[in-house]
Amino acid sequence: MTISSEDDMNAAEFALGTLDAGERATIAARRQREPDLDAAVKAWEALLSSLAETVPPISPPQDFLAAIMARMDGAVSAGNVADLARRLSRWRFGALAASGLAAALAVGIGLRETTRVEQPHEFVAVLQKSADSLAFMVTVNLDTRDLIVRPVAAPPQPDKSYELWIIDEKLGAPRSLGVIDAAHVTASPRLGSFDRAVVQGATYAVTVEPPGGSPDGKPSGAPVFVGKLIPTGK
Amino acid sequence: MNDPAAPLDLIELMSRVAKRDRAAFAALYKATQAKLFGVVARILVRRDIAGEVLQEVYVRIWEKAGDYEKAKGSPIAWMATIARNRALDEARRIKPISLEDMPEGFEVAAEEVDPLGSRERSEQLAALMKCLARLDEEKRQIVLLAYYRGASREALAQKFSRPVPTIKTWLHRSLAQLRDCLSP
Repeated sequence: MTISSEDDMNAAEFALGTLDAGERATIAARRQREPDLDAAVKAWEALLSSLAETVPPISPPQDFLAAIMARMDGAVSAGNVADLARRLSRWRFGALAASGLAAALAVGIGLRETTRVEQPHEFVAVLQKSADSLAFMVTVNLDTRDLIVRPVAAPPQPDKSYELWIIDEKLGAPRSLGVIDAAHVTASPRLGSFDRAVVQGATYAVTVEPPGGSPDGKPSGAPVFVGKLIPTGK
Repeated sequence: MNDPAAPLDLIELMSRVAKRDRAAFAALYKATQAKLFGVVARILVRRDIAGEVLQEVYVRIWEKAGDYEKAKGSPIAWMATIARNRALDEARRIKPISLEDMPEGFEVAAEEVDPLGSRERSEQLAALMKCLARLDEEKRQIVLLAYYRGASREALAQKFSRPVPTIKTWLHRSLAQLRDCLSP
């Protein structure tokens, strides 16, 4: 194992569960791209895992089996997407054989679906002050223009509001995407008006504003958290 | 889960679940729901949130059943790791709960869990217990509260009236000591 003793202890505390929200999210994100750190977390988890045998059971308030099975059917994993692509191409082949018109339609639909699967359309930005102070996660779907902001470890600002801005030289001044909540998920409907390339390449920034947001539509101060979008696809 | 044959049955169920056997999944759920709810409810305290998290945990178990390797531990240990991780993510997102802040009728404080007196033990657990017993009383309590209740450093600092950096140092030393003790 080739990780620093500091990371070894980060991994140990991640497995035990004593990290705060920001540290936890940072280690979770790093595990995705650092196999040694991921292996260290798994080793610590394995070391502690037999303690589960000592946890006394508690009956759940209701039987969730039916609800879980319904969710299992809806769950889309990476494997399912590959399955879908395979099924789609089989279906397209069958349709081609059926009739000229159906074939033309099927190819049209098939191509569009295939492009969707291959081109990343969902992006995520981590808004932070420094590497270990993750505050918000922004998810953007370029097709539907949905923008969702999830607080991770944004410190509450009593009597103030956080406001999200999109910054790109093509836009000139920063444009407001609205006030965002430090405790709950916020969806912003304001992304629809911006060009796709701008949305994808822009910088996203959060400022601290008077309650309800900037009074004049301009950021009142320097951003406290910033980040750019990266594709969520593999 | 007091049936001595249960661990073997769970391994069998896990391998069928990995092959997308829904009946096996239903049996696995029935056999383990109370255990996993015990894991997430102690960390999350609020039962509505714990119920929601429990459902997500089982969807993950369904998706990841193929990753389970019996050489690395019991199915319960593997499932509980998934459950703890999901519960901890949620616990850190919602308002922190003080360790003193237990609703009435919820007598599940980690102090009452007595791992050292636990009767059914895997070999792995027996070894871990021996090593936990070598830690100082207070340091063992800290590790166990973190495990059972998902206590953060801050919550532990409050409970044990120590500064956060002290708790962090103790955690690091205790964890390293456990690993040394367990390594062959």
